[in-house]
Amino acid sequence: MKSNGNNHGNHQLIELKDVTKVYHTPAGDFTALNGVTLSIGSGEFVSIVGKSGSGKTTLINLVTGIDDPTSGEVYVGGTPVHTLKEGEKASWRGSNMGVVFQFFQLLPTLTVLENVMLPMDLSSRFPISEHAERAMALLELVDLADHAHQLPSMLSGGLQQRAAIARALANDPPIIATDEPTGNLDTKSAESVIKLFENLVDQGKTILMVTHDSDLAKRASRLIEIADGKIV
Amino acid sequence: MMLPTRWVKIIKDIWSNPSRSLLVIASIAVGIAAVGMINNAGRIIQRDLYSQYAAGNPARLNIYISGFPKELAKSVAGMREVADAQAVRTLSASLIHSDEKKSDINMNVLADYQDVRINRYNVDEGAAVPGIREILIERISARKLGLKVGDQVIVEIDNQRQYKLTVSGIIHNVYILPMTIFNEAFGYISMETLEWMGEMPYYNRLDIVTAANPGDKDHVLNVGALARDRVIEPAGYQVSGIAIPGIGSSPGDHWAHDQIVGFVLILQIMGVLAVFLSCGIVINTVSALIVQQIKQIGILRSVGAVRSQVAGMYMANVLIFSVLGLIIALPLGLAGATWLSYFAANFLNFDVTIIDLPPSVAFLQIAIGLIMPTCAAAFPILSGTRIPVYNAIYQYGLGTRNKVGWFEKLLSKIRSINPPLTLSLRNTFRKKSRLIFTLVTLTLAGAMFIASFSTRDSLNAQIKQIEHYTVFDASLSIPGGANRSTVLREAMRIPGVTLAEGWSEAVGVFVDASNNESEEFVIVGLPYNSRTIDPVMQQGTWLQGAGLPQIVVNADLVQAKPDIKIGSKVTLKVGDHKRLFEVVGITSKHLYGSRIYMDSDSFTRLTGRQNQVDVVRVIAQPGKPGTPAVQEAIAQQLQERFKNAGLSTAIASTQHNFFKNFTDIFNIILMILMIMAGILAVVGGLGLTGTMSINILERTREIGVLRAVGAANAAVLQVVVVEGLVVSLLSWIFGALASVPVAPALAAVVIYAILETRLNFRYSVEGLFLWLAIVLVIGVFSSLTPAYRAARLRVREVLDYE
Repeated sequence: MKSNGNNHGNHQLIELKDVTKVYHTPAGDFTALNGVTLSIGSGEFVSIVGKSGSGKTTLINLVTGIDDPTSGEVYVGGTPVHTLKEGEKASWRGSNMGVVFQFFQLLPTLTVLENVMLPMDLSSRFPISEHAERAMALLELVDLADHAHQLPSMLSGGLQQRAAIARALANDPPIIATDEPTGNLDTKSAESVIKLFENLVDQGKTILMVTHDSDLAKRASRLIEIADGKIV
Repeated sequence: MMLPTRWVKIIKDIWSNPSRSLLVIASIAVGIAAVGMINNAGRIIQRDLYSQYAAGNPARLNIYISGFPKELAKSVAGMREVADAQAVRTLSASLIHSDEKKSDINMNVLADYQDVRINRYNVDEGAAVPGIREILIERISARKLGLKVGDQVIVEIDNQRQYKLTVSGIIHNVYILPMTIFNEAFGYISMETLEWMGEMPYYNRLDIVTAANPGDKDHVLNVGALARDRVIEPAGYQVSGIAIPGIGSSPGDHWAHDQIVGFVLILQIMGVLAVFLSCGIVINTVSALIVQQIKQIGILRSVGAVRSQVAGMYMANVLIFSVLGLIIALPLGLAGATWLSYFAANFLNFDVTIIDLPPSVAFLQIAIGLIMPTCAAAFPILSGTRIPVYNAIYQYGLGTRNKVGWFEKLLSKIRSINPPLTLSLRNTFRKKSRLIFTLVTLTLAGAMFIASFSTRDSLNAQIKQIEHYTVFDASLSIPGGANRSTVLREAMRIPGVTLAEGWSEAVGVFVDASNNESEEFVIVGLPYNSRTIDPVMQQGTWLQGAGLPQIVVNADLVQAKPDIKIGSKVTLKVGDHKRLFEVVGITSKHLYGSRIYMDSDSFTRLTGRQNQVDVVRVIAQPGKPGTPAVQEAIAQQLQERFKNAGLSTAIASTQHNFFKNFTDIFNIILMILMIMAGILAVVGGLGLTGTMSINILERTREIGVLRAVGAANAAVLQVVVVEGLVVSLLSWIFGALASVPVAPALAAVVIYAILETRLNFRYSVEGLFLWLAIVLVIGVFSSLTPAYRAARLRVREVLDYE
């Protein structure tokens, strides 16, 4: 299911307008994205595929506000993310965007439960008395309640990625952005993570997933392929 | 209560690396404890010592007079300018120990023990008033001699007559120079006991408190001169000296006031350094924490933490360190203050009343304890949390995107050494701010180390110089003087002695054209061609012939009386005799205080004392003093012979012992300086260890690459250790440069604190190269732990590090 980048959802939740990203390196400038225009509707499960260095991670970093475009505009839920300052982007991300990384990036000194509670604590969206209960509910959702009080290092890669997904859901964001979520997992774990994403889409979440695995990519409702910084 | 997750992370971070947390807490605690110790001890010492000193009504002036009755004190006390005067009899004698060894004792008699009004003493044990055949012993003397109430002691007068006295009381007298420092015991006896010991019942010193301006040295000396001119001498008594009590002190000040001020100043410097170094370790450790957690900072930001929240978390972390450091520092500082106060109390002979932590000191500690680490940590925290999320998560650890400046370009031209060595050299300069911090700490440590050694060398050089003024094996004072021929004949009869000289002493004043008199100075009469002195001339020449109207003064006198210059014509007055002299030379300082030297014949003409000498100096090999054993043997024979000849009952001193007394006091101060330098070296080493650890942490991936391309353990170790050595070597060079101004400054402060004089500075080359050895050892050991850690890393986990 290939896409040319046009909107397939109900309404435009994510919009990129003529976005270009150039990295300045000692070896010279490198254009990671070149005039990308893209719309993603609410409730879509979008896979972004492409070869290494094609610009797919850059694309997701621009959507999450982790990186800034060199030119162009990025709107998420109507918010002009490209205009936000670093601190504003962090607050905005805390409430509107769940990010799942390839290497899980859980805080090693916190238990799984505490890792999930952390975004709630930072955003103050939920009363502190509800944090533990809500985090536990999310861990149950990802089938990790039995490991709630264990440190991340005690879990397998698949379980750590589930914990990272639970953390991404902590503040009930409408969008989950994930970069190679199965890149570090075995086939069985990868399958369970993708099922989890499918369930989340069924619950109304929008999933933006970068992957190099074409089989997994096909599980998404929409597939965007990038090559040399352009959507093809 | 539900603890916010952020706080859980903070607490777990502290707990997850206990050695790092303890290092920060300990360094905060040490710095703040040092501040508490020094400030509180300074307060306790000044409170108790000065209050006890002032409470007993200290004498502002001593007037030494030929024998007088106690009524003279009443007459002087009746003067408008005098608030009170008290008659004292002092007598030098020997105290014979149980093992037949002798100690000098200064025995005092007061006119009325029921009404002591000046220099009042307290009773520690036993009687307050000495009965007949009894003695009150000062507690420091009692402690040193092992005496207690009820013991019997033998006091020997004139080395002949021995009297057995009972110790009836142990008293505390804060006004006398303690036996632990000046090696002379102190006791009070009654006039009846003195008479029983065959002495005439007269007094020989007046202790005076002036009515106005009791702290004004000139005024107090003027009052002394008035008392002499209006009351004492008209009544027929001869004044032999007027002096302010103490060692160059101002009237009413404790005898060691200036030394205490100097010592507290040295401690204050130590305190500031301790806080500064604590600050450095906090910066270093928090930097390490931030570097280690930079990815976590990125994750926090990616899940919604704004910068102020992240910075707040790390600041809270530091604040917890501060509070824990303070919890240790407050009692530790109090314990240190207690130790230092009791050390000073024991040294200066006063009582510590209450050990407490006053709000002012506690507030100072709390303020510094909270502000210092927070301010120190603010820079690494704010710069660490400023990093964009993208860089924190994806870029960190590469460390290759630094700007290439002129220095890096310069380094890149060094190509003739092997690649690991090149890597070490270039790595050293990659993080310049961190390098600068480490260099500052080690440079400071180095400068202080070299300065401490230079201070020691300057003192030793000074002592060495004093040897020029004490070219004898033994010397003996002859109280009251004796005939020169007799003295020299007796001295030359001592086997081995080939040279004996008789020196005379008097106290005199300079008189100006308006007939105004200066303060009193010691005048020494000696053979103009003396071979027991080899003066170091700063200006002019030494005495040139017998009987010439020439004097040579020392630099101490010039400092006290700056109008004295080479070629000055001055009038000296001793008693009623006045003579005109020309100043022909100025010698170096030599710890005796101000001195005027003149030929024996000139001295006779000035003083009217015919062929009388007060001191005899002997030597076996002129120009070459013997070993301590030889000197001791000669001193023993000198003492025996002069005692048997009825010339002197004093205890002979050797040149060796003369120096030993000085060096003992120096050594305490130098020990503190060395400890300080040692602490600085340790802290500098810790700083370097921290820096190297952060560097390795940052370059984990590079080390992985090195391993992947075949670097064996030794090569990885070499890269790290050589970097540590380069930093050490650089710090040594900067330390050496910094020591050029620091060393003379420290030496000047310390020497002035001890000797109240400014001496020639000598730079310690030995200290310079010893520090080089130490700093290289520090470099190796500080980098070994991080180096081993780096060498243990496996290629896969290193390359995964992101």
